[in-house]
Amino acid sequence: MAKSKTPRKSSRKTPKPSRRPWFWRLFFRVSLIGLVLLAGWMVYLDAVVTSRFEGRRFEIPSRVYARPLELYDGASVSTTALQRELELSGFRRGDGNKAGSYSRDGNRFVISTRGFRFPDGEEARRRIAFGIYGDRVENFRVLSGDPAPIVRLEPAQIGGIYPTHKEDRILVELDKVPELLPATLMAVEDQNFYDHFGIAPLSIARAMLVNLRAGEIVQGGSTLTQQLVKNFFLTREQTLLRKGNEALMSVLLEWHYEKDDILETYLNEVYLGQAGTRSINGFGLASQFYFGESLNNLEIHQIALLVGMVKGPSYYNPRRNPERATDRRNLVISEMEEAGLIDPSQAARARGLPLGVSEQPSYSENRYPAYIDLVRRHLARDYREEDLRSEGLRIFTTLNPAIQYAAEYAVEETVPRLASGEAREALEAALVVTAKDSGEVLALVGGKDPGFAGFNRALDAERPIGSLIKPFIYLSALAQPDRYTLISPVNDKSFVLEFDDGRRWEPRNYDKKERGEVPLHEALSNSYNLPAVRVGLDIGVDVVAETLQAFGVTSSISRYPSMLLGSVSMTPVTVAQMYQGLATSGFNTPLRTIREVTDSQGEPLNRYPLEVDQVADPAAVHLVQYAMQEVMQEGTGRSAYYTIPEQLTVAGKTGTTDDGRDSWFAGFSGDLLAVAWVGRDDNGPTSLSGASGALPIWSRFMAGVPQHGFSPVVPDGVNYHWVNAERQALTDEYCDNARLVPFIAGSEPDQEVSCSGNLQRRIQGWFEGLFR
Amino acid sequence: MKVSVLTRAGALGAFLALAGCASGPGSIYVPIGGGEQTRAPEPPRTSTSEPEEAPVWRKSEQPEEPAVVEERRDTAPSYQDSGERLSPAAQSLVSEADNLLAQGNTSGAISRLERAQRIAPRSAEVYFKLSEAYVAAGQLGSAEQFTLKGLSLAGDNTRLQRAGWLLLADIRRARGNVAGADQAEARAAAL
Repeated sequence: MAKSKTPRKSSRKTPKPSRRPWFWRLFFRVSLIGLVLLAGWMVYLDAVVTSRFEGRRFEIPSRVYARPLELYDGASVSTTALQRELELSGFRRGDGNKAGSYSRDGNRFVISTRGFRFPDGEEARRRIAFGIYGDRVENFRVLSGDPAPIVRLEPAQIGGIYPTHKEDRILVELDKVPELLPATLMAVEDQNFYDHFGIAPLSIARAMLVNLRAGEIVQGGSTLTQQLVKNFFLTREQTLLRKGNEALMSVLLEWHYEKDDILETYLNEVYLGQAGTRSINGFGLASQFYFGESLNNLEIHQIALLVGMVKGPSYYNPRRNPERATDRRNLVISEMEEAGLIDPSQAARARGLPLGVSEQPSYSENRYPAYIDLVRRHLARDYREEDLRSEGLRIFTTLNPAIQYAAEYAVEETVPRLASGEAREALEAALVVTAKDSGEVLALVGGKDPGFAGFNRALDAERPIGSLIKPFIYLSALAQPDRYTLISPVNDKSFVLEFDDGRRWEPRNYDKKERGEVPLHEALSNSYNLPAVRVGLDIGVDVVAETLQAFGVTSSISRYPSMLLGSVSMTPVTVAQMYQGLATSGFNTPLRTIREVTDSQGEPLNRYPLEVDQVADPAAVHLVQYAMQEVMQEGTGRSAYYTIPEQLTVAGKTGTTDDGRDSWFAGFSGDLLAVAWVGRDDNGPTSLSGASGALPIWSRFMAGVPQHGFSPVVPDGVNYHWVNAERQALTDEYCDNARLVPFIAGSEPDQEVSCSGNLQRRIQGWFEGLFR
Repeated sequence: MKVSVLTRAGALGAFLALAGCASGPGSIYVPIGGGEQTRAPEPPRTSTSEPEEAPVWRKSEQPEEPAVVEERRDTAPSYQDSGERLSPAAQSLVSEADNLLAQGNTSGAISRLERAQRIAPRSAEVYFKLSEAYVAAGQLGSAEQFTLKGLSLAGDNTRLQRAGWLLLADIRRARGNVAGADQAEARAAAL
């Protein structure tokens, strides 16, 4: 202040002589301050440039893959499922000669696979041919490539776990990309890339001249370095200040780093499109995104298109603006020709080709929200969230897209028909499907709108399981063959339990009827309550609870008698875990959604292997499986056969809770285990039972997938006998009340009754036996 | 002790290679729709046709007693005495696993065998092979469980059963479970 006053005062007194020194002094001072500021700014920019570039660690999202489809003679797949799978994995319908394409002639397919690096090794490119008859692969042949009896397709990418800023990329290395790409890029965007020092004043001048003449911006003078800086460090606004910064940073970048480093970073950084909220960065991902191909497999016209798109990814979007994109591509092809990168005949051919863009990106984000949710929860046990978002992990899941499709279809198709009016609006559903013998979760539906990423009922709806508990009660009983067999008479008669505190409990059958003595297998297949509670109390609530725990239930189980009617709450996934052991011969198999996780280079990080753990006597489980098949044939589940083919033998159990608040069905075939739940989010009553709510969904699903029927191998120590259950005695095959029932050796009845009547059937049987 | 387990496992492997050549049993495979569906499928309905009827929350799980007695379905609970054979595709993966095991690459072998298990989940052989691989990996607990699983699918094939019980005996002995080993050996001898 004081200083600035002095010259002004003096200027008033003697204006002319003192003006020059004052002006120069000020100029000098301002320049000095400017220089210091600029130097400081440069130091700051330098720090920004080097720190960001030095720790040049791109955040790469994790990629989540479905299970690969394995093709071989006898593989189980329908033609429609195969076609859907091919589309999902980004295959194009064509002549079947070019990698990533397939041809179909009726039931005959020819597929040219792309090859893929699996955690256990490289799956080579092959051309394969086969037919599909009766939903099975036949005449499988490898037409070209290494011969192999079994070939895996590239797995479909079903999701990603993205960095918070939503950038997606596939990293490429400069010396591994096709040479034509960087050459074209330089020819089009920056011809003197290897000669300039970050900025090219001559180019800028030339561009300005061209633009002035044209009256609009037709040419940019930015070097690749400037473009990288712009992408990397700066916002997109066009101000002079930003331009200045850009130039300074470009020079600094060139000062510190090799040209090749800058070029490689550019290839991985450049913005080339948008998929929803996800941005497509770098040529590696752009190649996948637009062509479903890796960069190394691109042809001239495809490289030209990608390079052309650098100028304006949305303006030249080949999916939305194909004409513009074609013009731009052809212009780039001409520049390639001019620069001598391709010869005129190649150029002419390339210009004549269609864009060759895949119809849709090979995957869309969040197609399977409920399933990905489960995958993320499993991953969260072993990985930190930030690593999942940034380390480019490859996650190989067990999702089977064909089964997921059938599961979603079953839910969407069935739920709207289950009830009417307001009740329908409120109905929700969940469906879990696992592979019976491996515990792999194949499909998951978390609500009646499977595409909606909301409350995941398959994982989070904890509901009382009702009669789903009964097989475990009877299993606990049948494990004591000296006390219980499938034909043991159990009492279907009401009773009252009085507790010490004076409370009374009087369980009842759902239909309020009482039937007196019924054979145990019938009590289970018809889901009678009173015998279940009686048997449960007889062997002990604790024993039943222990059985449940052995089968994988980890939540606490109340030891009250009401537990015997399923007052225990579980999620559909927990029920699937628990039923897994019933579906096999008493082997607990932990449910898995992930087979393997590798790093971005394909090196294995974690394997989640198949595990089995015998938790029950296979003989006792076999007996329960018998009764659970009876459920489907004669009991509460028999309406399933309105939907599923008669030859598909299945086993299962219905479950209903008070006022139909929860409708459950858990059941299995030879290959699949599925658990369906229907109910309301507000836990309100419905008019549904297990048989009328969850079972139709389950049956619709089972009818939509080719599979093996359930036909368990008779375990050691189990024998089948013809018996008359009423009389508790062995009998003849052709007697009227005869039933073929399995017994744990030594527990079969020792008396025998023969039937008096039906001579005709006996004679018929004798002849049948003769010719069998 | 470990050596004997491996020898037995090797012998079992040789046997399995032979067993793999045998043909498969009758099919329990059902394509979509099942081919010869005889009845017109009628989806179960729950909405009642009489709208004026007051809503009753029917708790019953039991279907209504059919007015007319349905034609008795001529099916009974299904079972089979013999296990399923390895399919040729699964067999090829098992052979790959054998080669990897011979090279000492147990994790590679296990991952091939898990692929084979997904293709042939009801074949005892594939579980015995997994057991062999886990023996080689020194994980005897897993090996024992896979042997048991294989035995549960061996059915009436006494050669498979005997091979499984003997393998189990060796594994148990190697784990220090002498009584369990004797028991398994007795089972093998009784066949």
